[in-house]
Order: sequence, then C-alpha cells, then structure tokens
Amino acid sequence: MSPKEKTKIIKDVTQLVLSRRTKMCNFLEYKDTKVIYRRYASLFFITGVDPNDNELLTLEIIHRYVEVLDRYFGNVCELDLIFNFHRAYFILDELLIAGEMQESSKKTVLRVITQMDAMEEEEAKEEAKK
Amino acid sequence: MAMRGLTVFIADIRNCRVRELEEKRINKEMANIRTKFKDGSLSGYDKKKYVCKLLYMYILGWDIDFGHMEAVNLISSPKYSEKQIGYLGITLLMHENSDLVRLVVNSIRKDLDDNNEIHNCLALHAIANIGGREMAESLASDVHRLLVSPNSKSFVKKKAALTMLRLFRKHPDVIPAPDWAERITNIIDDYDLGVCLSVTSLVTALAQQYPEAFMLAIPKAIMRLHKVIVERDFSADYVYYKIPIPWLQVKLLRLLQYFPPTEDPNMSEMLHNVLQTIINNSQETPRNVQHNNAQNAILFEAINLAIHLDCESDIVRQATNILARFILSKETNVRYLGLETMAHLAAVTDELDEIKKHEETIILSLRDKDISVRRRGLDLLYSMCDVSNAKTIVSELIRYLHIADYALREEMVLKIAIMTEKYATEHSWYVDVILQLISSAGDHVGEEVWYRVVQIVTNHENLQEYSAKMVLHYMRSPHCHENMLKVGGYILGEYGHLIANLPGASPIEQFNTLHARFGLCSLATRALLLSTYIKFINLFPEIKGAILAVFNQYRHVLDAELQQRACEYMAIATMPTDDLLQTVCEEMPQFPERESALLSRLNEKTGQTEDKRTWNIGGKDSNEKTPANLLAAKERNENGSVDDLANSVSNTSISAAGGENGAAAPANGSPAPPTPAAPTAKTGLTWKDQLAPGYENWYNRLRDGADGILYEDSILQIGIKSEYHGHLGRLAIYFGNKTHTQLNSFAVSVESPEGLVVANSHTLATSIGPSTQIQQLYSLECQQIVTEVPLIRISYQAGSTQSIYLKLPVLMSRFIEPIQLSSADFFARWKQIGGAPREVQEIIKVPGRIELERARTILVNHRLGICENVDPKPGNFVATGVFNTSLSGKVGCLLRLEPNHESNMYRLTVRTTSDVVSKHLKEILHTALLSKPAPSTR
Repeated sequence: MSPKEKTKIIKDVTQLVLSRRTKMCNFLEYKDTKVIYRRYASLFFITGVDPNDNELLTLEIIHRYVEVLDRYFGNVCELDLIFNFHRAYFILDELLIAGEMQESSKKTVLRVITQMDAMEEEEAKEEAKK
Repeated sequence: MAMRGLTVFIADIRNCRVRELEEKRINKEMANIRTKFKDGSLSGYDKKKYVCKLLYMYILGWDIDFGHMEAVNLISSPKYSEKQIGYLGITLLMHENSDLVRLVVNSIRKDLDDNNEIHNCLALHAIANIGGREMAESLASDVHRLLVSPNSKSFVKKKAALTMLRLFRKHPDVIPAPDWAERITNIIDDYDLGVCLSVTSLVTALAQQYPEAFMLAIPKAIMRLHKVIVERDFSADYVYYKIPIPWLQVKLLRLLQYFPPTEDPNMSEMLHNVLQTIINNSQETPRNVQHNNAQNAILFEAINLAIHLDCESDIVRQATNILARFILSKETNVRYLGLETMAHLAAVTDELDEIKKHEETIILSLRDKDISVRRRGLDLLYSMCDVSNAKTIVSELIRYLHIADYALREEMVLKIAIMTEKYATEHSWYVDVILQLISSAGDHVGEEVWYRVVQIVTNHENLQEYSAKMVLHYMRSPHCHENMLKVGGYILGEYGHLIANLPGASPIEQFNTLHARFGLCSLATRALLLSTYIKFINLFPEIKGAILAVFNQYRHVLDAELQQRACEYMAIATMPTDDLLQTVCEEMPQFPERESALLSRLNEKTGQTEDKRTWNIGGKDSNEKTPANLLAAKERNENGSVDDLANSVSNTSISAAGGENGAAAPANGSPAPPTPAAPTAKTGLTWKDQLAPGYENWYNRLRDGADGILYEDSILQIGIKSEYHGHLGRLAIYFGNKTHTQLNSFAVSVESPEGLVVANSHTLATSIGPSTQIQQLYSLECQQIVTEVPLIRISYQAGSTQSIYLKLPVLMSRFIEPIQLSSADFFARWKQIGGAPREVQEIIKVPGRIELERARTILVNHRLGICENVDPKPGNFVATGVFNTSLSGKVGCLLRLEPNHESNMYRLTVRTTSDVVSKHLKEILHTALLSKPAPSTR
C-alpha cells in the first residue's frame, strides 16, 4: 500500500468515525472492510477487519489492549502514548500478530513486557558504569 | 532508559501551534540527523535515538527517505534495547517489496536461530509485520521449526504460528501446508491456551485451502470446546470478564464452519452439548459491557455454526427466538448483529416463516438512525425475499429508496432489480418495477441494470409489447431520466411496431417522444438513438422523411461517432433497394442465458487466502451458486421444452445446457459407472488412460459443436455449453447431483494441451447439495496451434473418492471464424498455398448414402463458411475460414469437398497456410463425415 493510499484511508475513516453519535453502533463499513471502533474519553481506537470477522470480539481486543496499556502506564492517557509511542507498538506486538489475537491473558502479556523492560534497564546500568 | 533527546523533540513538536512551525522544526531535525548519520561514528545509543525521532516524524505523516540503513544496523546490535528499536524501524519504514529486505533476511535468520527466545520473538514480529515474498521463501521453514519443535517455549510457539499465518496469507505457495498439517493440527491440544488460540487461527486459514489435509482438526476443535465450555477446564489467567478465553471459543466455532458436519455420532453429541450450553448461558444479560460483548460474541458465532450444521435443528429454532429479541434491542450493536445473523439464517434456510413473522420490525430497521443498522436491514430483507413476499418487500424498498442515504441507493437499486427478476411471477410486474426504478432513481441505476432489462425483454416475447407500451408512457412524463431514454430507445427500435396501432403510439408519435429529448442527452445516448432511428426507417417507412432530416443534420456534427453513424445510416437508408437495410435491422437474436451481471457485480470476489465468507447475502440459491430465474423457468415451461431430465435433476437450468431439442438424454448405452478411485500418483497412469468408460457416447455427440450432456451416471450429470469468438471462448460446465444426499469434497481440475489456456473464473463450490446443480465457467484462449483437446477430472466423495476423467470437446476447429470468398479470391489463394505438405487430401467412403445436407451441416458446425457458386460443379462444396490464435497469428483454411454419389465417397482436399492445421482439420472433418448422424443444435 502506498503512503498516499494510507493517508487517504486514515483521513476517510477518521471522518467517518468522528461523525458518528455515541448511541450508534461501533461498526461501520468502509469499502470492503468492516471498521470497528471504540472510544475512551477523547481517544478513539479504530480497527479494520474482514467483513466476516467477529465484531464484538474485535471490540474486546481493543479493550484488552487498553487494559494492558492502562496497567502498564498506570492510568494511561494520550500523552503516555505519544511520548512512548514505541512502547505502545511493542505492547501491541505482544497482543496481536498478523491481525490475530496472540495472547489474551493480561498477566502473560504484562510479564513479557516487564521482562523486556528489565533487560533494557540492565543494559542502561551497564552503560552508566562505563 | 527513556531517551531524553526524543522526549524533548516530541515536546518541541507538540508546542508548534501552526503547521509551518512544525514543518520548520521537522526540516531542522532531518538536516541534523542526516549530518549525524553521514558522520558514521555514532554510538548505538545515538543511532537508536535518531531512528526513534525519524519514526515519530513518520507517524506524524512526514515522508522519511533515509535512515533505513541505520535501522538495519541496529538489528544486529548485541544490545536488546537497540535491536528492538531497529526492528521497529524496519517494520514501520520498510515495504514488503523493498530492496532492503534482502539485507535484513540474514540478520533475521540469525535471531531466529539464537538461543535467546526474546531475540526469536523480535525476529518473528518483524517477519509477521513485513512478510514479503523474499522473507517467506527464505524463512518459512525456520518459522515452522520454531512452531513444531518440542524445545520451543510457549511464547515462541504462539508467535511462530501467527507469523506462519501471515506468510501463508500473503504467499500461500511457499507454505507446504498439507505436509505440515498433522504436526500443526496436533498443537491444538497444547495445554497452554495462548498457544492453542494462535494455532487455531493458523489452522482456520490453512483448512479453508486444504480441507482434507486438516480433517483431524474437527474432533480436536470439538473436544477443546467441550473441555472449555462444558467441563469448564481452563486456567484462571484466561478468564475475560467471567468468560473463559472468548477468543479461542469463537475461533474454534468458526473453524468448524469451514468443514462439513461431522459424521461421528459421539462428536456430534459433544458439539450439540457445547452449542446448547452456550445458548443456555445466554439467557441472562450481564450488566458489564465487556462481559456482555464477550458472551454475545460467542453466542453469535455459535448460532452461525448451528445454522451451518443444520438450519432446521432445534438449536436454530431456539436461536431464532433469541434473534427476534435482539432485533428489538435498545443496544445498537445487538440490533446490528441480530439483523446480520438473521440474514445468515434467511440466506440458507428453507423455513422462512419464522423470520417472516418479524417482517414489520425488519422493515422498520430501514428507518433506524444508524446507517450501519439500515444496511443490515437491507441485507436481511434481500435474503428473506421469496415469491410470497417479494411484492411487499420490493414495494417497501422502492418507497424507502427516495429517502435512503445516497451511499445506499445504488446497492438498493441493484438488489431490487435482482429480487424482481428472481421472484417475478407475472411479467408485467417485472417491467413495472424496473421502469419505476429507472424513472424514480435513474441516477443510481447502473448500466448493468438497464442492460439486463433489455436482455430480458429480448428473450421473453410476451414481454415485448407491454414493455414498449410502458416505456413510451414513462418517456412522456416530465422528468424522464436519461437511462429511461436508453431503455426506451432500444425497446422501441426493436418492438415499436408491436404497439404502432395503439392510440398515441403511432410511428411519428413514438419518434417525436424520443426526439423531443434528443438534444438534452449525452453523446452516448444520442448515438444509441440514431440506431433506433435507422431501425424506425426499416419498421415504419412512412416516417423516413423526418428521420432523414435528423441524419442529414448530424452528418455535420463535431463528434466523430455521431457523425459516422449519421453518414452510414443515411447511406443505408437512401440506397435504391431496402435489402441491406432489412438485413442490418433484422430483429436482435436472443441473448445467451448467462449469470446476471447484476449478481456478479454484487458478489465481489475475495482473495484466495483471506477468510472465506461462510455464507453470502441473498436467498438460498445464492448460497448454492445455482442461478435460478423464475421467469426463464416459466418461459421454458410455457414453450413445453422442459426436457425429460427434470425428474432426475430438479433444477431446470441443466436443460439449458442440454440443448433445446431434447438431445440431452443418452439414448444408447447404459450410464457408465463411476471409475473407482485411482489416484494418479500411485498408478502412474495419465489422465488419458483413465477416461471414463463409454465417454465417447457423449463426447462424439458434442464433437461437432453442439451443447449438451457430456457425461451421466446414477450420481452425476455433467453438461456443457459453449460459445466461441476468434481465439477466445467461454465454456460453462454444469454439474448436477442426481442423488438425495450431498456430494462432498467435490473438485474439478482441467489438464489442457500446450497452446490452449483454460482458466476458471471463480473457485467452485466444494460440495453439491442433494438434487442441485452448480455451474463452473471457464474461459478459453487458443494461443498456438493445438491438435489435442483438454481433459477434465471430476472427483467427489461417495464412500471413497470417485474420479471421473473426460475429454472436453474443445476442438481446434472451434477457434475458426467462417469467411466468404468470391470465386476469384478463392482460387488465387488456393494456388498460392499450393500442394503438399500444406495440402492434404483424402478419399472418404461413408457408410450408407451420401447426404449433402449433412455434409453442409458438418462444415458449418466446424465453423467454416460455405462459398456458393465458386466451384463450377454444383454439389461440390467450397468452404473457407480463419483459424485464430493469440500468439501464433492466424491461419487461413480453404477446402473442397467433392461428393461422388455413385460410389458413396467424398474427396476432401484441405489447403491451409500451416501443414499441421491442414492435417488436423482434415482429421476432424474425416471423423465427422464417418460418424453416425448426430443431432445438432445449430
């Protein structure tokens, strides 16, 4: 997919989602994709899935991601995600691969992330010693 | 551990209040990073920091055209934190087809082989996120090793499974899935639920492509479901808001929908328990949103599976009641999913009554505040439509069309048109609805819709007068849409004469109605109307004067197309005799029966490895892939041409394949029994060696170009229908299941000779329902001279695997186009080609008496044009044609056939510009002349 197409999709879908009212359902169609979104205060989490995928469960994937972020950052807010965008990606990789749920246990995901952080810290300490 | 430089940079950017300031800051940073990178002596930490900054700019939407190399370097860093950023860098910046992929493949392989599992994981993430062909080819086996190795830790296995899934979706050919099937399927039993979940996702994708290899997944999935749902055996870590691992439950329920229902009674019983437990668990509505969502997610998937297993079961009846409650729910998500699932049920069941009870609610959903819900309502109405409620639903939809969202209208028009065609029991209703549609929603009427009207009116004689009358009426309303004018132009041009005696419809009145709008419409429509006018001259010579004036005027317009039409039509109309005019304006022949373009437009094709839809929106037949058309069936009934096969195969469309003259049923020879399973690989037999016994009976009948039955036994009936044009052809093969049970694992493959390309346009269903017929379309392309015909292998499961091998009557002569030559031209070319080897001659002694008419038919059926008055001796045939190929050009074919009545012999002389063609064409005709007279349809 070219960056141009990507930008267009992001723009289109953002507009579609923002124009929907709160009481409406969390699903809509965009071209051949089903868009499923969930809103947390002013933050929107948006996914695109096959028309065939289970909608409600996709909503819960979003929720699980938010829960893990929340536990990791401690009451997560937008700024946490902006300043730690790379961590948001790492955590997502522990939850989803190839668009499929890889690990649904919050505990297991957090254990892996903590382990990674520990390694990083170790390296940082060694660096400081030098 | 945080990178201060990065934090400061992000804060800086966030402080830029206007876009110009942001751009300035970005440019400054890019320039800075560029110089730093050029320097070359950066520490790992700095490299990491700068790559991070680039990534942040990338996320904001700026173009990043450098820094890839630095990311690649970071991957091989010994430090985890640097490696991690390196991998993030390449996954975000690198395209799957990027040249740089080559550079990272080796680093990735090293990390896959590493003893440190965390490195394995980083590498797997990268493959899954980039996943180009190069990676797939070089790394698939490493990924497989990590998945199945007993030494792999659970968290590596999970990632390996999904990485493999991603590679398979992108490049299915790289994954030898059937070879790996058993070991992969066994992992569904893994004690770790996370591993089980990932592997189930993988198996779901692979099993859709290779159902047989993954049969083992059926009992495994059922047992796992039983364990989690009925025995409630799971680790507490995996409980999500009181529901045990909903993702796995849904995946397993979905996986089972890609297989036919299990035949093992124990498994059936277990699965029944599972589904019943799920239904029972759903009686209460939990307060917590997450809990409720997870519970319903499972419920909907369970209902889908229950529908798939048996749409008339008790479970489905219970589910229908739940759905009825859901479509009235206050919660929009539940309403949406209730409608969607009900549409699934409506699409496959025979029992629409339960659903019809809720017709009112469903029609009301078209007025829901949410467009997503309105869409589902529309789908459901479309799916539940049948003969009994078509009129109500169609009229509701037309009423709603005026206020429907613009985004929905085109789809609605399409669906209304299809429903009307499918369920029309009176011709006039069909015409009324479609014309109303065009007149009230003309802008949303796609070309396909009005083409289809024309096709149907042309093919149904009793519609023609009525349509002409109605269309004339509509064109007189003040707001006549241009699409109406197109339909009107076509229909009046063809059938205007049928109503010419009615008051207000005299020739000049018809012409004036059309011409009043001529100036206002597009060039394409005007061109169409000019053609109508020339047809008018032929139908109504009395208004020739008025029309000639129009042609005369348009001879001078700027548009080339219009000008050309006007000039040519003028010339034809002013010739001394009307011969040419009459030939040109002959009534249009009937259109060949084919799948409605409307349907193909609606069922967009899906990719090979994407999850397949488990059902299609639409009535039962759209899920069985049998084009049913009541009008056509009715017509056939009226004409009394429904064949004697109707009792064996309930569907009527095979009769279309069987040819109208009833040549279908094999008169001689008992039906051949299906050849017992003989897998080619084991016996080393070629397809040709295994042709079904007695196939010649049917094949010879079709050799000379007829359409009809290709094969029939007690289980299967196969018919073909074909059309050819130049080097291209289309072949429709119909497979009718004559038994009262479903034929499973149905598969068809074609082996075509070199030079002939046989491609199927869509994937065929893998099963045929009882007494049902399916159709497969093939496109043919003759690329080079071919002397062999393609072979086809049909296999299905009936106890054991049965295979039938047949020849397809796609002879070389099908790609000939007839031409006519004058005597002088013929002999000039005849001499040019000269004698052997390009001339082939044969004396043929026929059994019985020579029949000139039959010889003529054979020549014509083999697509040769007969040139009259060329040979001085009457009774001798001279025939010519051009054999077309797409790659090796054209071959001119000339031949003479001289009968000798006294000795019952023919002398056949073939001269073509290629000795191979001469020889083969002679053989084809030789066989045809020797064969017993076969009924033909041409």
